[in-house]
Amino acid sequence: MILTDISIFNPQSASGQTLYQLDIYFIIAASFIMLLVVGLLIYVALKFKAKPTDGEPSQIKGSKKVEVFMIGIPFLMVAFFFYLTVKTMKQVEPSVSNERPTVVITGKQWWWQATYPGTKVVTANEIHVPANRKVLLKLVAADVIHDWWVPSFGPKMDMLPGSVNYLWLNIAKPGVYEGACSEFCGRQHAKMRIRVIAQTEKDYQKWLTKSAKDINPITDSLALAGAAIFQKSSCAACHQIRGTAAVAKVGPDLTHLASRKTILSGTKSNTKENLYAFISNPDAVKPGVNMPRFHFTKAQKEAVVAYLNTLK
Amino acid sequence: MENKLMMKLVIGTEAILFICIMITYVYFALSVGFTTQANHYLDIKITGIYSILLFVSSFTLIQAEKNYAKGEVRKLKTWLGTTILLGGIFLFGQLKEYAKLLTKNFGISLNIFSTNFFTLTGLHAFHVIIGLILLTIMLVLALLGDFDRPNSTILSSIGMYWHFVDIVWILVFTLVYVVPYLSIF
Amino acid sequence: MEKFYIPEPDSNLPNANISNNQGLLQWISSVDHKQIGILYLLVGVLFLVLGGIAALLIRIQLAVPENNFLTPEMYNQLFTMHGTTMVFLVMTPIILGFSVYFVPLMIGANDLAFPRMNAFSMWLSLFGGVLLYFSFLAGGAPDAGWFNYAPLNERTYAAGSGIDYYCIGLLLVGLGTVATSINLIVTIVYYRAKGMSMKKLPVFVWMVLVNSFLIVAAFPPLNAALSMLLLDRQLQSHFFNSASGGSPVVWQHLFWGFGHPEVYILILPSFGILSEVFQVYSRKPIFGYNVIVGSGIAIALLAFGVWAHHMFAVGLGNTVYGYFAASSMLIGIPTGIKIFTWIGTMWGGSLRFTTAMLFAMAFLVEFTMGGLSGIAFAIVPIDWQLTDSYFVVAHLHYVFVGGSLFGIFSGLFYWFPKMTGRMIDEKLGKIFFWFFVIGFNLTFFIQHILGIKGMPRRVYTYADIHGYAWMNMLSTIGGFLMGASFLMLFYLLFKSYKSGKIAGNDPWDAYTLEWTIASPPPLKNFETLPHIESYRPFRDIKLAKKDNQNGK
Repeated sequence: MILTDISIFNPQSASGQTLYQLDIYFIIAASFIMLLVVGLLIYVALKFKAKPTDGEPSQIKGSKKVEVFMIGIPFLMVAFFFYLTVKTMKQVEPSVSNERPTVVITGKQWWWQATYPGTKVVTANEIHVPANRKVLLKLVAADVIHDWWVPSFGPKMDMLPGSVNYLWLNIAKPGVYEGACSEFCGRQHAKMRIRVIAQTEKDYQKWLTKSAKDINPITDSLALAGAAIFQKSSCAACHQIRGTAAVAKVGPDLTHLASRKTILSGTKSNTKENLYAFISNPDAVKPGVNMPRFHFTKAQKEAVVAYLNTLK
Repeated sequence: MENKLMMKLVIGTEAILFICIMITYVYFALSVGFTTQANHYLDIKITGIYSILLFVSSFTLIQAEKNYAKGEVRKLKTWLGTTILLGGIFLFGQLKEYAKLLTKNFGISLNIFSTNFFTLTGLHAFHVIIGLILLTIMLVLALLGDFDRPNSTILSSIGMYWHFVDIVWILVFTLVYVVPYLSIF
Repeated sequence: MEKFYIPEPDSNLPNANISNNQGLLQWISSVDHKQIGILYLLVGVLFLVLGGIAALLIRIQLAVPENNFLTPEMYNQLFTMHGTTMVFLVMTPIILGFSVYFVPLMIGANDLAFPRMNAFSMWLSLFGGVLLYFSFLAGGAPDAGWFNYAPLNERTYAAGSGIDYYCIGLLLVGLGTVATSINLIVTIVYYRAKGMSMKKLPVFVWMVLVNSFLIVAAFPPLNAALSMLLLDRQLQSHFFNSASGGSPVVWQHLFWGFGHPEVYILILPSFGILSEVFQVYSRKPIFGYNVIVGSGIAIALLAFGVWAHHMFAVGLGNTVYGYFAASSMLIGIPTGIKIFTWIGTMWGGSLRFTTAMLFAMAFLVEFTMGGLSGIAFAIVPIDWQLTDSYFVVAHLHYVFVGGSLFGIFSGLFYWFPKMTGRMIDEKLGKIFFWFFVIGFNLTFFIQHILGIKGMPRRVYTYADIHGYAWMNMLSTIGGFLMGASFLMLFYLLFKSYKSGKIAGNDPWDAYTLEWTIASPPPLKNFETLPHIESYRPFRDIKLAKKDNQNGK
């Protein structure tokens, strides 16, 4: 999977494409005005520089004709862009009636939770969606305001506590798309990255089936020790691992943690070392994080990491 | 004239402040629904009587202004005193209502209705207090003989402020008391 | 006349000519509009230094990816304080300083209508600012951004007292600002020289008048929002708490109901300054006086109907968006018209490229840039892409710095001889100009690209991806260039104040009344005034004199 270049000028979804058109129109118009102003200014500066022989220049107080143009032309431009705005808005955001959203994404300080209505799937930060099909995202917030922004997909959308927003998404081709929380949401706002994994319908269904399953039985003895620590030492007070006694929903669901490529809202790759470092001192890796620091021994930490690694 | 224009501008900016708070009140009243609670906690009759006293105080102040224009300083003092008395009684009524509500555990932190109720009526009461302070200063100055000459714009400027406070109360009273009361029928 | 009221400088009052230095006490107790104007400017400079230091610390933190120079907590406090300071405690005092100083001088008045209220307002604003900064000592500055969105500003998410200081500090600053504006309106309405009808008002005074009305009408929503927030935080009320029926969006409506007019509040006086500067240095009257005044009024009226374009990503629905897109685009028209009237003013003139003129001309370029990126935010779909990204940061700095501040610099270089009696060192002035223009564009132009490439604003650090690193480094270099050029400016002003050439009454051959009297002006501004015949009264006087000499 290739990481796509992140830019609003690299549209990868239907909405992104529509918005891109408008961007181009606007850039052309804006460049024209900019060049006009700069050009006039340079001309005026060269042509009308004071000379020692100058008397008082003629005292023109205005010109009705020029004023009409000055007001008229911007009016026409504004009218044109208003038309484009309304047209594009209509194209991009068809209203939502009773469709069931494909994914419900909840912004939390400072990570993303994704649930898939109609299935048992709960995941965090890496959000899988099918490509080449219109999907509806339901966006909510658990604490403060967050904002869902994947530049290649076009519009961003706020997630507000106490209300619900929707966004339509039709991704052109499978791939990994990046974005970030775009509304300031506190200490770790900077590290609230988004990864959207667009898959073919077949791969997506496969992923969905696999992710809906509870964890596989563990055989490895180190991992078993880790599982015991996880349940006993208050990890289970915040995290859910389906198929075990851990059912809390404060922190991210860890049922299939090991199948994710990244951890900590897409800021670190999912390696044993990174997991180990995070468990050792969460605040050092992600300052301000809500996970407390547990004083485990080295062996205990290794056991927990081994356990988490089995959660495929 | 400068005084009057200044007061008009002050009233303008204060009016926008009240409009903001009232729009917020209406917004929450529509989105959450205040009617049941308003009818349960608020007593329109008693507050209504105090409100009438406040409205009357506007008319007594007009009398004060008229007498001042005619140069009747003694009557000015009497009417000014009456106005302050009426305003004071209104404020006393507000305080009594607050005290009663607080004994019912209806404080600002109870819910979104109490939040809006205390903010809106409290802001108004704060303006009544300022009005009373201004009027009292006027009365003291009048008693000291400062108003023996006619043509001062100060009384009419402060008068405008007092009438403004009254008009705001008509709106607040309608919004907070009358509208939910009427919706019973 | 009534007893309590002192419309003219009185010998009993402790104030005197600024050149007649009687020490600190005289400044503290002064009610003279010129001294208070200068105090306002100094307050602006004091906070400019503080806000500037915050900006440089921010730029150091962002110079390289994954930097640990600042903790996220410190970074959030610094960018919040940087924004709040620059908007409320730098730009506002400075524009009020120029207004308070020059409005009476330009309309032929001897002071503002309420001189003591003038002093009171100034000190109140300063006190509010100091209170806001006291939060650093009281356990942490506010850290939820200058627009301080709910519910991040609530006690649950911001337990420290910083945001309480934000509320109280800004309430005081706002009170002082509104009081001064009321003062200015009353002065302009009642204290104009004989014959100076509204159609003969200098454009700067017109813009200050419009601006003052804007301030009087725009601050109440902010005060309402701040009071509600303070109640929420101190008395556990429920305005912005969605769990108990409150609404965080109400904060946004109220804040931007103030916040967007505020943007125009900070730019209109600069429009006024520019109009004077272009006339004087082009030797021509303003091109379309009615158009430039009318567009100023149009901006002020429209300013109250555009606030929700800050909320296009909130999900308010296409109907609401359509309305606010239309109003926000419309407000671009009067703004655009102004640009072309100024070019029209220069057209056919005899241009003198002083530092003030250079800043005014650079304004046209930088502000057009900021205006165009502003139109981008009025076009809802483009706003959806770019709002809350670094593109906004670039846009707002092009408006506030490239617009407001360039205008203020232009005014500073134009009026410095009047305020101090000394000419500014033009050579150093021009060096400063080029340093500043280059530094400014270096810092902020690249931020447009950062936004387009997906960098959200208000992040304390970023990963080394997508070229963020070199772009941010460039921006930091530009930031330090700007910082250095400010040092140059302070040196330049100090040097010119100490040893500049004596200016005389009218060094620029200017058009308005302030140049008819001594520099710096005496305590009592005017002894006699001519009958005003046009919005360029001083030119009329000079012409009449010349005609007399020629024996016509």
